[in-house]
Amino acid sequence: MAANVENSAVQEEKRMKLTKKDVQKSYWLWQFFSHANYNYERMQGGAFAACMAPIIEKLYPNKEDRVAGLQRHLTFFNTNPNVGTVIHGAVISMEEERANGAEISDEAINAVKTGMMGPFAGIGDALDQGVIIPLIVALGISFGQTGNLFGPLLVLIGIPLALMLIAYNCWMKGYSLGSSAITSMLAGGRMKQIIGAAGILGCTVMGGLIATSVSLKTAIAFNIGDEAFDLQAQLFDAIMPNLLPLAVTLGVYALLRKEKFTSIQIMLGIIVICFVGGLVGIF
Amino acid sequence: MSWLQALIIGLLYYLSDAPWFFGEGYYCLQRPIVAGFLTGLVMGDPVTGTIIGATINLIYLGHLNVGGSMPSDMAIAGYIGTALALATGVSTEVALAIAVPLGLLGTIWWVGKMTIDSFFVHWADSYAAKGDAKGVILMNWLPSNLMMLVLKLIVAMVILMAGVPLMESFLNVIQGTNILNALNVVGGVLPALGIGLNLRAILKGETLPFLLIGFLLVSYFSVSIVGVALFGLAFSLIYLQLNKKEDASYGG
Repeated sequence: MAANVENSAVQEEKRMKLTKKDVQKSYWLWQFFSHANYNYERMQGGAFAACMAPIIEKLYPNKEDRVAGLQRHLTFFNTNPNVGTVIHGAVISMEEERANGAEISDEAINAVKTGMMGPFAGIGDALDQGVIIPLIVALGISFGQTGNLFGPLLVLIGIPLALMLIAYNCWMKGYSLGSSAITSMLAGGRMKQIIGAAGILGCTVMGGLIATSVSLKTAIAFNIGDEAFDLQAQLFDAIMPNLLPLAVTLGVYALLRKEKFTSIQIMLGIIVICFVGGLVGIF
Repeated sequence: MSWLQALIIGLLYYLSDAPWFFGEGYYCLQRPIVAGFLTGLVMGDPVTGTIIGATINLIYLGHLNVGGSMPSDMAIAGYIGTALALATGVSTEVALAIAVPLGLLGTIWWVGKMTIDSFFVHWADSYAAKGDAKGVILMNWLPSNLMMLVLKLIVAMVILMAGVPLMESFLNVIQGTNILNALNVVGGVLPALGIGLNLRAILKGETLPFLLIGFLLVSYFSVSIVGVALFGLAFSLIYLQLNKKEDASYGG
């Protein structure tokens, strides 16, 4: 019995504990270099391994485990770099438990990574590329188009601030809650509500931006009997200001949704139609 | 356009896809509005640069980089497009019409980078096999960035130095024709694509009324975009409150 107590005391002493600094160092390696070597074969795989490298180095003193650890993370990985950091945090906590003798297989770690990178790519892209970035950029443009230098400064400061707040907090949350964090985040309706609310905010601003930033007027005018009729002033503007910009934007949106044309094809279509229309005097 | 200006703009173009500045260069230095401002600083007119950059940025508002595919290189459109426009003194709409083909050209570069970077990750493999954690970290950034720096500098400087005289002669040819008007029409409509792309991500049946409200606020009451954003914020708070009540009633 005495031997047993002594044994557990020894184990306690040998426990591999990561400090907050270790976890933060790993975070910064990701924050800086998540897309430094972005490539078709493994996407963010190299970056994932790079940010795990100091963790692996600290947790596994013997070379065999270390090689296995580095190779374990040099696999295909691709997710949203900001919200998806919950996965990194959770994986760090799994590695820590594993180094302390918990039964966590390679498969279990891989399952968390490959199973969750898809859902978090969806949630994260909807949030940052769908709303946060366009919103900040739209505000920046509205200042910038009038020559106000606050516009570009807002983008320069606002985007990093917003994204790093998200990335750091998700990373730390993932680490402190472990792999259970991921399932609870996905299961709760909270995330869906936040995306819904963000979508409302985004749509309101985009609606305003249609009116300020898209411009199209027709130059068509003809005579009805003896009366001159200006199509733009006497019909479109009489119905609603900015009618054509709204119609064109919703038309582009409808084409994009049908997925029959790529965005580049639509772009070329706009260029050709508007260019020809401008040449012959329709617009 | 001096060689020094071209060199600095080329360096900025490199930074717009580089990991420095907390990795955020990728998120904000590549935005044409920022590109226009910085290019304007280099060329001695930050205000006009910002106006041009902000206008170019409208097309890339809904820029989505999903699963590593890039529809267009907005950084080259922003940096090179603004520099060419400032050097030749064209209108913002014409600047936009120059920027678009540049952005499409940039996708060639992106595909090349994504392919070549695949080799470097194998270099990381061989360091991992030796258990060399530092080597794995180094291979994640050093080779790709050296390659990118050299290639982007060359691309930017060649286009800038060759592009200015080319554009000047082109502008001379079209002077006084209807082509300038046609380019202006194109520049006026292209932002619809940027907005449409973003709407694809966020517009659904339940958010359509808010799009209309935002549009009507500006069209009829000339509310600023900041004002519209504040209205939007209020709407989204109402949405969150309504949802909370629903949750509580389900719980009770």
